[in-house]
Amino acid sequence: MFLNITSVAGKFYGYIPFGDIVLYVTEFSAISFVIALFFTLVVYFTKPEKQLESQIGGFDRLNYVSLEELKIRRLMAILCGICTAFAMLTGDLFNYALFLAVIGIANIGIVSAVKKEWVLNAAYYYGIIAMISTLPLFGGAALILAKTGTLSILELAGKHQDLLFQKMLYAAGMVGETGVAPFYAAKAEMFRAPGAPYILMIHLSSLLIVIRTAEILLTI
Amino acid sequence: MDIGRLWNYISRPEVVPRLFAVFLCLIMIIEFFVPTSYNEDQLYPKYPPQSQVFKSSLAPYDRGGEPLKTPADIKTQYPQFEPIRGRITAYLTPPAIWLSERTPYFGTTIVSTPGGILDEILYYTRGLDTILESLTLLISFMIFSWVYLHRD
Repeated sequence: MFLNITSVAGKFYGYIPFGDIVLYVTEFSAISFVIALFFTLVVYFTKPEKQLESQIGGFDRLNYVSLEELKIRRLMAILCGICTAFAMLTGDLFNYALFLAVIGIANIGIVSAVKKEWVLNAAYYYGIIAMISTLPLFGGAALILAKTGTLSILELAGKHQDLLFQKMLYAAGMVGETGVAPFYAAKAEMFRAPGAPYILMIHLSSLLIVIRTAEILLTI
Repeated sequence: MDIGRLWNYISRPEVVPRLFAVFLCLIMIIEFFVPTSYNEDQLYPKYPPQSQVFKSSLAPYDRGGEPLKTPADIKTQYPQFEPIRGRITAYLTPPAIWLSERTPYFGTTIVSTPGGILDEILYYTRGLDTILESLTLLISFMIFSWVYLHRD
């Protein structure tokens, strides 16, 4: 078996070849894939929440998502969910970095339709971080390619090379793209927009991407 | 130094890109001094720069072979998943052939894009990457056009 890897991800079930990019299914990635697809379906079938804002000395205000806004936000949330699901399966470092870029821009898309100043401001700053973090992400993948001569996770898993600093750069890209702790403020402001199931997709994709990146970096 | 003031500082969204850029600078400065090596056995080998200029009109992307007839020698990771590799490299449409006979810079012109060069690596061996690249562009155009059409 040339495509058999032993990793933290558990049992190896099979692969889906798209040319050089081979998607592979392990216990870990199968579970994450099903979770991401399940929440995509939840987003598709759920109506958005309504937020009641209490006002001091005035009438309470109801924040709701209009139909036009709902359509674009639901589309972006579904795109984000599908990309998250397939990022769980991919077996190629460069392809994974591209999935992260798509998820990042879909996250901006989910909140871009909200006509609230602070949300759009936060989305703008998150967009800047997402753009900056493509540099370490693709740079890390390029350095790994230069040092090992391959990008396939399945090939890299068997080689056991010292890739500590390349992995650090790759992880730094992931940190910016998903907004891990000290760089969290812009994303936390984005969550405050009304419309629950769509906003949750931002959160879910970040969580799954963080654990999947940890799994990849431990495997290669 | 009050640590609460520091937490309040980093909780503002406009500070976060600045903070991330500084963090990235630190990592990349360390990385600059770390010794690394180059593997000669690369997966997607490139010809030396400028080696094809004025010899072929498809300059940096001429990988040899004749489209759909004789396969070019393309190195891939999993040859068993690509039964017809090398056959579509540098496939040209009739207008692209007409143009490529007249300019030595056809491989790098923007004109080559619509129905021009079909590069083997981009469209066959690593096709999913190309789909995702164009999807990124498509999503950003969708966001832009929605925001533009629904402006107040």
